Amino acid sequence: MSELKAGSDIKVGDKLLGWAVSEDVRSRGASGGLVTAVLAAALETGFVERVLVLKRVSEFEAYPVFTSDVKEVLESAGSMHSVPVNLARYLKPETCSGKIALPAKPCDTRAVVERAKRNVLSPENTYVIGLNCGGTMHPETVRKMLEAVYRLGPEEIEGEEILKGKLVFFTKDGKEHAVPIDDLEAEGLGRRDSCRYCQVKVPKNADLACGNWGVPGDLAGKGTFVEVMTEKGAELLRNAVHAGFAELISADEKGISAREKVNKVMLGMSEKRKAEVFAPIENGGERFEYFRKELENCIHCGACKAVCPVCTCGEDSKCTAYSSLADSYRMSLFHMVRFLHLSDSCIGCGQCEDVCPAEILLTRLYQRFAVPIQKEYRYIPGMSDRTPPFFALKPEDNEDKEGSGCSCR
Amino acid sequence: MKPEKNEIPEAWEPKIVMFCCNWCSYAGADGAGIGRFQQPASMRIIRVMCSSRVDPVHVFSAFLEGADAVLITGCHLGDCHYINGNEKTLVKFNFMRSMLKELGLEEERLQLNWISASEGEKFSEVVRAVTEQVRQLGPSILKPEGVA
Repeated sequence: MSELKAGSDIKVGDKLLGWAVSEDVRSRGASGGLVTAVLAAALETGFVERVLVLKRVSEFEAYPVFTSDVKEVLESAGSMHSVPVNLARYLKPETCSGKIALPAKPCDTRAVVERAKRNVLSPENTYVIGLNCGGTMHPETVRKMLEAVYRLGPEEIEGEEILKGKLVFFTKDGKEHAVPIDDLEAEGLGRRDSCRYCQVKVPKNADLACGNWGVPGDLAGKGTFVEVMTEKGAELLRNAVHAGFAELISADEKGISAREKVNKVMLGMSEKRKAEVFAPIENGGERFEYFRKELENCIHCGACKAVCPVCTCGEDSKCTAYSSLADSYRMSLFHMVRFLHLSDSCIGCGQCEDVCPAEILLTRLYQRFAVPIQKEYRYIPGMSDRTPPFFALKPEDNEDKEGSGCSCR
Repeated sequence: MKPEKNEIPEAWEPKIVMFCCNWCSYAGADGAGIGRFQQPASMRIIRVMCSSRVDPVHVFSAFLEGADAVLITGCHLGDCHYINGNEKTLVKFNFMRSMLKELGLEEERLQLNWISASEGEKFSEVVRAVTEQVRQLGPSILKPEGVA
């Protein structure tokens, strides 16, 4: 094993392996509890004022809290596969004064970046610890799964883990219950629909990109692979090492390539799913009929807009103010405006789908617009600080600096 | 669902909502009238101070209320009376067009053209050309029931 890294040696671009110093955090948090340790250290030393974490209710239920209590951060430890919300939505001017740190899966991170572009949070004061993500599950789906497939009650569960493509539940009587995720997904259970075609698995847009991919066998479950993406990330890690909360070593070549490999496999699977979901519909009337039919059950509650992390319009917005059901249009103005606004900035986090009371697969609809348009402008929302193409002042601004540019006139 | 060519009623005339900027295109419309250039009566002109005032909501509302096409006109690039309003229009236009295309509308139903105050003849030409294109396409799929 290589030597422990001194805090001052950490710089941008480093690929490291780390774990929490405290035995308690290590045992509670997944993969060595590095993320928990970094967050706790940041609070303890006053590096950040508050931390946004998920407060655990049970193995598959949690709600987001802002806290400056180190104890609460330690209690939040552990990775969860059934995540209820996109944390970024909670970062708004009312809530984020001062420095804030949060753990974030790739879609949270993308939402943070997009929200920073829309001036609802300050990117300098927001520290994002990215977590690798192969997909999340809706808590309600998990409950359904437990009943229908595992034949278990939610109160029997002690732990949950994804092992070799199988979703394993550990019950309190010490037994393991494993079902392959592919089987679950064939029945419409398992991961969120949007996660299955998500195109970002490693949050390279965050300040730190953490995860258990690329951790060598002898450290499996005891260490976290972390890539330092920005100077802010390096500061966070240095702080954690100085405060004596975390220990880090350099990652070896084998680990780095293993991580890349996992990422590639996951992306390949997503790509395949994406091709399935977004099979082209015939042009013209058929296409319109598809959208009209999908939106048929919409009751215009506006929940999809209320949870959308990239929509920062607030209460008064064009899409709701000018839309009325009494108009009895062929398609609601609300949806048309949403389709347009999301066509460049939809990150496909799946929040709208989660909250829709009419169970409309909204993310799919929004992505139908987003996929071709984001491709046309070569713009991936939330992955860089480039201005969203719709906000460009001139068509030239939308031309891609790296070459071919968009097909606009 | 796609309106077949033979389904288009004989007497059907397209209704097109046209946004004209106050400084160029609206004056161009005047020019067309003064010069007595012939054009079909398919346009419903809405004067706006600048083509960039046209919000996507205006365009969508026009379609949803029964317009068969929307035509946005403004000053030539570089001639905007508000420095660069028409360049912003162009950005928005490209977006709206991609989005409407995705929704299943034909590209020709949303058009953008630059017409200056002195181009009365061009104005009537554009109106004739757009009307003819839309007549070929038939009524829009977004048209509410009972609206001609």
